[in-house]
Amino acid sequence: MSATRLIARDELRLMARNRVAVVAVLLILVLTLVAVLTAWSHQRDLAELRQRQQAAATAAFEAQPDRHPHRVVHYGQFLFRPLGALAAFDPGVDAFTGSSMFAEGHRQNTANFGDVRQGSLLTRFGQLTPAFVLQSVAPLLLIFLGFGAVVRETERGTLRSLLVGGAARGEVVRGKALALGLVAALVGLPAMAGLALIAGQAGVQALPVAAIALGYALYLALWVALVVLVSVLARRSRDALLVLLLAWAVTVVLVPRAAPEMAGRAIPLANRLETDVGVARDLRRVGDSHNPADPTFAAFKARTLARYGVARVEDLPVNYKGLLAVEGERITSRLFDRYAAAGFAAQERQNAAVAAAGLLSPAVAIRQLSMAAAGTNFAGHRRFLDQAEAYRFALVQKLNRLEADAVSYADDTAEDPGADRRKRVDAHHWTEMPRFAFAGPDGAELARGAVPGLSLLAGWLAAAVAALWFATRRLGVR
Amino acid sequence: MRVWMLELRLLLRARPTVVAVLLLTLLSAAAVTGGMAEVSHQRAAIARIASAQAEDVGAIAKWVNEKKDPGSAAYYTFHATWDAPSPLAFAALGMRDVAPFIQRVRALGLEAQIYDGDNFNPELALPGRFDWSFVLVFLMPLFVIVLFHDLSSGEREAGRARTLAAVPGGIAPVLRRRTALRLGAILLAAVLPFAVGAALSGAQPLPVSAAIGLAAAYALFWVGAAALVSRLRWSSTANAATLAAAWLVLVLVLVLVVPTFANVAIARAVPVAQGAEIALAQREQVNRAWDIPREETMRRFYAGHPRLADSAPLPTGFHYKWYFAFHQVGDEGVAGRVAAYRAGLERRGAAADALGLVLPSVGVQAALTRLARTDLEAQLAFQDRVRAYHRRLRDFYYGYLFYDRPFGTADFARAPRFGGIADD
Repeated sequence: MSATRLIARDELRLMARNRVAVVAVLLILVLTLVAVLTAWSHQRDLAELRQRQQAAATAAFEAQPDRHPHRVVHYGQFLFRPLGALAAFDPGVDAFTGSSMFAEGHRQNTANFGDVRQGSLLTRFGQLTPAFVLQSVAPLLLIFLGFGAVVRETERGTLRSLLVGGAARGEVVRGKALALGLVAALVGLPAMAGLALIAGQAGVQALPVAAIALGYALYLALWVALVVLVSVLARRSRDALLVLLLAWAVTVVLVPRAAPEMAGRAIPLANRLETDVGVARDLRRVGDSHNPADPTFAAFKARTLARYGVARVEDLPVNYKGLLAVEGERITSRLFDRYAAAGFAAQERQNAAVAAAGLLSPAVAIRQLSMAAAGTNFAGHRRFLDQAEAYRFALVQKLNRLEADAVSYADDTAEDPGADRRKRVDAHHWTEMPRFAFAGPDGAELARGAVPGLSLLAGWLAAAVAALWFATRRLGVR
Repeated sequence: MRVWMLELRLLLRARPTVVAVLLLTLLSAAAVTGGMAEVSHQRAAIARIASAQAEDVGAIAKWVNEKKDPGSAAYYTFHATWDAPSPLAFAALGMRDVAPFIQRVRALGLEAQIYDGDNFNPELALPGRFDWSFVLVFLMPLFVIVLFHDLSSGEREAGRARTLAAVPGGIAPVLRRRTALRLGAILLAAVLPFAVGAALSGAQPLPVSAAIGLAAAYALFWVGAAALVSRLRWSSTANAATLAAAWLVLVLVLVLVVPTFANVAIARAVPVAQGAEIALAQREQVNRAWDIPREETMRRFYAGHPRLADSAPLPTGFHYKWYFAFHQVGDEGVAGRVAAYRAGLERRGAAADALGLVLPSVGVQAALTRLARTDLEAQLAFQDRVRAYHRRLRDFYYGYLFYDRPFGTADFARAPRFGGIADD
């Protein structure tokens, strides 16, 4: 048996004899198990609830009686953001973004009813998920079990006897690292088993799951390397512990909170009131539908009349009010898109600034990676918002076209007692409207989102291993 | 007194201690500065409302004034409401980053408007704010570890414990003095920046002293926990390191794990799925009005608003009073669900508060957000004020709509303004 393996075995035996250590390992295993089970059942409850609510909303939409198409534009459609299976592992921003959105004409609504506004203050303490356990708690356990691995031997002078006994410095350090690495593997195992179970469900792609597994393996390996490195460098066990605790507090607790704070301050985001007022202002500039003499709409009218070769809107073969609705929606939606794009761009710049903090804290890198691969980061939410807006526009325009084609201009402008009946179109049209079907991202796209985080973590690990290698060469030389 | 000075000098000579205290001061100051910047940002946003609204409403008034139709005015005009940060909001930003503090409403159905959010970046909100309450609840316990983990075991290890025990009075007074000094140093580091911030923000002395008292009690709790752990002496192999490590788990469990776990438990125990259901039900109620006789809607409306019942009968064509009536009837139709949803949210908040009674970390966070008026309760109170204001808005427009009074430019200025006692 090589010296490395002997040393690793000894270290593990020592840990097994430490009652506190064993209890801690058992606790974290139980904690992970609880996290996997609760997060999974929570995700399934949410996913089912949203599916049920979406089905109810769609059924209600299609069960509408004969109506004027413009009524249906205002009746609108509720869209629910489906929750991917991997959200059971890392729910990311799901609780912070609304899960439902009301799609209607002339307006772009916010996604509402996010858990963070419906929950107690505890939501802000974090969520108990496998990702949380691996990101925040597991490194602490490794610190706790490993800070003394080498420095203990240095302090007691047993290192000298090890070296005299024929073990090379590298073998000692590798042995200690191996032992701690095995602990890390043990600690990561239940979460990874949970991930495998979650991944076993239908619709989960292998690539992002592999990215998540690789990410956490790198992350835990990095902590193993860091703990052993500090243990090699420290003169006293206590110093090693304090340094490692400080590193944990800074990288896991402090930087992940401070970085978004600074990003938010550096890159401002327009609020809804300012956005809405801005849209209204631009709209008045582009074309004021309330002003009969507005040049944009006058030009549209002239264009439309010319296209059909008639002199009055009453003579058009289609309903002019429907055409006007199509044109109006086109103009407002273009503005919405412009403002939304500006908002998204600002948020993406903010997120990029936070991601850069991954250079300071591997915890930031793993968070970003994990959320990106699980499809629960901002990009994942944006995917929903983009598709919801595309759906809203398509639905509204289809209804406006219906008004143009199926309701006559004379009926549409009539106000006699029977006019209301004549303005309505048959209910079967509602079942012919498109249904909202969220197209989930494909595996390669999700995995691509994890690449920056993976490279950061790989860089961190390489640096830590290199530092460990240098430190090892000087071990015991004092 | 001389012994105290001596102990103080000893404390100042211990470099790790001084560094730790300075670091805590720095973190606390940074959190207070950040919190104040955020609050002033929010105040500035609220201050900008007036000009934005003047522009927006002015443009509507311009075209409405031509026909003087009160319905168009009521339909198109958004009115701003806002929830100004309290003077202590900088210390615990609570839900102010995820719940809107500016909201615009129209006299239309409120249930379709009141749950709207503001723009915020969810990825920035996810990790939680870096405010003073965070420094206090999450970071201060770690500093207590650093300063207290070797209070008695350090002496034991250095071999001075026996000598100290032999002096008159024994080791206890020495440890008491050291405990007091270190606790004082930590508290001063954590609280001083807060006190400065509170003074600059013009906070009332009572909530400020309550917050300081909370901080002291919380610090005492952790010092007490440290004393308890060191009492155990943790067999002969225990040294400062394992001691610190062992009770770090305590910090972690109490500050990170139990609250997250409780969150899941509360969410399960008190389900609130009604939010989206309110929106769906309200839409059904509102849109149904187009498919039933208009008189039926008016009957239901007048039953709730007998004062307006002397309004003229509906004309054959469209009339906005019917439109607003069915919006109101739609809101009233979901009142039961709204109350149930609200009760669910309050039960969740109460459950978290109850947990705060046994879990100091949660308790302190809850108490601070309460003092700062940034908690769920404050958010619900803001919603109540928006509701009250919305009632006034409706009453205002109904006065024109139901009696066909023309609505001109001057009338836009007569619309009720948010704020003041009327909305509380």
